[in-house]
Amino acid sequence: MSPFALLLGPPLLAAVLAAVVVPYRPLVGWTGALLSLSSVGAALVFWSRLLAGDVPTSGPGEFLRADALSTLLALCVSVVGALAAWLGPGMGEDDGYEPAQARRFRIFSSLFTFTMLFAVTANNVGFMWIAIEATTITSAMLIPLHVTKASVEASWKYILIGSIGIALAFGGTVLGYFDFVNMAGRQDAALHWTVLRASAAHLHPEVIKLAFVFILVGYGTKAGLAPMHTWLPDAHSEAPAPLSAMMSGVLLAVALYAVMRWEAVVNATVGTGFTDGLYITLGVLSVAIAAFSLVIQRNYKRMLAYSSIEHTGLICVGLALGPLGTFAAMLHLLNHTLAKSMMFFLAGRVLHRYGTTEIARVSGLLKVMPWTGGLFAAGILAVVGLPPFGLFVSEFALFRAGFSVGRPWLVALILALLAVAFVSMIGHLNRMLYGVPTAGVRTGEDRLWPLIPLGLCATTLVVLGITLPAPLETLLRQIVAIVER
Amino acid sequence: MDSLFSQLSVLGSSLVLLFGLILLWRRGISAYVGAFAAQSMVLSAVIAIVGYFGNDHELYWVAGTLFLLKGLVIPRLLRRMERRFAVEREMEPYVNTASSLVVSGLLVLFGYMVTRPLVGLSQLPTRAGMPLAMGLVLVSLFVVISRKKALTQVIGFLMLENGLALLAVLGTYGIPLIVELGVALDVLMGFLVMQIFVYRIHETFESIDVEQLNRLRY
Amino acid sequence: MGYVLEVAQAALALALAPGLAGLIRWLKARLQNRRGAPVWQPYWELAKLFQKEVVVSSNASWLFRAAPFIVFASTTAVTFLVPILAVPLPFDGLGDLLVVVYLLLLSTFFLSLGGLDPGSPFGGMGASREMTVAALAEPTVALAIFALALAAGSTNLGQIVARTMADPGAFLSPGHLLAFGALFIVTLAETGRLPIDNPATHLELTMIHEAMVLEYSGRYLALIEWAAAVKLFIFFALLGNLFIPWGVSVVLTPTTVAVAVASLLVKLVVLAAVVAVLETRIAKLRLFRVPELLSVSFVLALLAVTSSFLLK
Repeated sequence: MSPFALLLGPPLLAAVLAAVVVPYRPLVGWTGALLSLSSVGAALVFWSRLLAGDVPTSGPGEFLRADALSTLLALCVSVVGALAAWLGPGMGEDDGYEPAQARRFRIFSSLFTFTMLFAVTANNVGFMWIAIEATTITSAMLIPLHVTKASVEASWKYILIGSIGIALAFGGTVLGYFDFVNMAGRQDAALHWTVLRASAAHLHPEVIKLAFVFILVGYGTKAGLAPMHTWLPDAHSEAPAPLSAMMSGVLLAVALYAVMRWEAVVNATVGTGFTDGLYITLGVLSVAIAAFSLVIQRNYKRMLAYSSIEHTGLICVGLALGPLGTFAAMLHLLNHTLAKSMMFFLAGRVLHRYGTTEIARVSGLLKVMPWTGGLFAAGILAVVGLPPFGLFVSEFALFRAGFSVGRPWLVALILALLAVAFVSMIGHLNRMLYGVPTAGVRTGEDRLWPLIPLGLCATTLVVLGITLPAPLETLLRQIVAIVER
Repeated sequence: MDSLFSQLSVLGSSLVLLFGLILLWRRGISAYVGAFAAQSMVLSAVIAIVGYFGNDHELYWVAGTLFLLKGLVIPRLLRRMERRFAVEREMEPYVNTASSLVVSGLLVLFGYMVTRPLVGLSQLPTRAGMPLAMGLVLVSLFVVISRKKALTQVIGFLMLENGLALLAVLGTYGIPLIVELGVALDVLMGFLVMQIFVYRIHETFESIDVEQLNRLRY
Repeated sequence: MGYVLEVAQAALALALAPGLAGLIRWLKARLQNRRGAPVWQPYWELAKLFQKEVVVSSNASWLFRAAPFIVFASTTAVTFLVPILAVPLPFDGLGDLLVVVYLLLLSTFFLSLGGLDPGSPFGGMGASREMTVAALAEPTVALAIFALALAAGSTNLGQIVARTMADPGAFLSPGHLLAFGALFIVTLAETGRLPIDNPATHLELTMIHEAMVLEYSGRYLALIEWAAAVKLFIFFALLGNLFIPWGVSVVLTPTTVAVAVASLLVKLVVLAAVVAVLETRIAKLRLFRVPELLSVSFVLALLAVTSSFLLK
């Protein structure tokens, strides 16, 4: 059976199952969770095929294609999707969700995973666009799982700003198509990324630059780049924990994937200077806004959301720092996905126990839930870029890349901003971890087994912080070859 | 440049843009819905004209779908929503009417500047209308930013999509059919979700004034 | 020969203008199911006013007495420069688009001063309202005609007409249509027609033009009313001849001049009918909404200019 079917089929199946089974039964949740492992397996199969030097494709005219960049993203999406399926509501336990809500979660989160996987494996940039628009729709349906004024506001901002961003990205896609068609005439395969990339040298530079601006602003809105980021803290903090994990962990990465696909085409046409400048501008702006917003945060889920903006900005800056920078950025993307998803799941546990998302009202976490608190602390340390976690390695590589392309002042600026973020987040962490436990809060862990996969995430981060496995290095090198000239 | 095809396409594009300007001038939601429906109908006529003169029969399907979807179905849904929120008129937007109109004129000029390379590159007789399509895109963005009622923002977003569709048709005689259909489906789904949310906002806040949505800050 | 035609053109304008105003009034009356005053009623009114005594406020200065003459003179001067019957005309060298706009502005300006001078509250109020309208309307006139000038390659009004006649397809171009829309709205504003101003009212809440001339009487009032009618005539002639120039004579022979007069009359009657229907159907805009309407016409003119400039 084609690995693509094993990748894309299970989430779709899980969604259909959840839609069909009324009223909701936990069996649906367990089936979906098991199916999600198949997607992870398929992504690993792609990886091994790529290591052997073969690019898997499928469908008429290479409709689906899994090169190195797609595979890395597919791996991230399927892993986080599996986490959400295993740890999300509706697994038969008392987690504060009604059956109807659990059913809604299962349907839309599976569809969400499906659309993201489709977006990263579609060869046609038009279908990539359609899939990313679909991610907005499916995720927006889930944000107000608990209907409150704040969640309605957050979901409205998300769908409006997200849809506008996507529409602008469509404009960019149209402009790219226009450029190609003017050069080579209309073809059915004109929107295939492989075709665009191959003919990139002949595209008109001004038009493709304009197209890239639209693409960066459009998909950048979905990725959380400033100044289009205003929806992100609201949406990520009001959404239920598994959805926040998926959105912060992988949706931002998928949006960046879309930008990178177009970056590859633009770089082949006009060289890397144009995209570098735009990346640095938006990236630094994102890191700056996020760092300073972290100082005044009073809500730990919003704190994590702003941290996502900061890391997206970092990845963007990394993409502008030459081949070494792109390598570092992609490693950082992988590390961030693992760390942030883990953090949001842990935040969900904390919220379930304490009943509040305010930092001031959460204290004594280590005494109340020792394992959760410990992992939470590890996560925050990872996210601020401390060793021995993987993010330290990728950030260090990023700085080295910055020096190697001759931008020392940029590196200094980023370091300063990261220091601001570091101090803020450690400060908030301290307030939550130590001190007298909040009154009226039960001590002791609820269910220990969800901590096992989260612990695995933390362990992987440590492994990535100590060493870079050779298969991963090969994959990342292949990605650099795709994007740079 | 002076052929009938070129003239008709530019005329159609101008009408599409002018209907978009109504969003900045009038204040009642019913005027907005009417302008959107008329704009979509003119847009589908432009697409049909391009299909006729450009000998591309796929575009007739696209024109038909657009006419049905955005000229009939979505305006009907919008009017139903309007009846529920009938008392709410866009009384004081963030930018007042006269300034909005002047800003939109400047935005259209900016659109002309931005599309200079496109018009220079293209050989199609419809290329003269592309700046107008870009102008509509920018004006719609301005509408979304400067208006306070959720329903107006939704209509502004729908007009943004119209502008992009017009740009695609004028610049390239339309994108491949299968992609076009996927886009149409996405638009419909997106609109339905937005509709759900406007109803939710009304239920939760007793009004569709987005200024009320101010609980989440920093 | 050309100079004779110029003088004849101006005389025609002066002679027909009150009739035009009367025609619009009569059509409105008929539409409203009234018998209405006959079409030549304004002529009797002018004659009556010229015979009546002038009453001047003791607060008024020389400006009050001079203003009607300046207004009348500048408006009449414009009739020499606008293509009413034929192009090209000898005075075309003297006046193009900008001179016409300035002369119209001159008359507006002095009318406002005349309204302010006696110190009556209505006059001041009317003057300030008129200035608000003029501030947006005058640039729009210039821009709208400039759009046509760009397409024709010259700001000379005669040339604009000639170029449009030579290229009938240009009529459908967006620049032309947008400029027509803009100029039509501005015509309603400049000549004090609904929905901007009601020429038949003397209510404080609604009058603009009437407020400025409230203090005038006798021959002064006659001159001002006549000048207003001539302004209406000029704008209609511009609308008709700049955008639909067929009928305007290019060579000066008796037949072409006759055709020109006939086509001019047809255009005037059509435009008068349109304005009459419009005035009957729409209500007057509230005063703070007037700048919004004028902004629309300004944007239309701006779009017309960009269309003409960038689509050549």
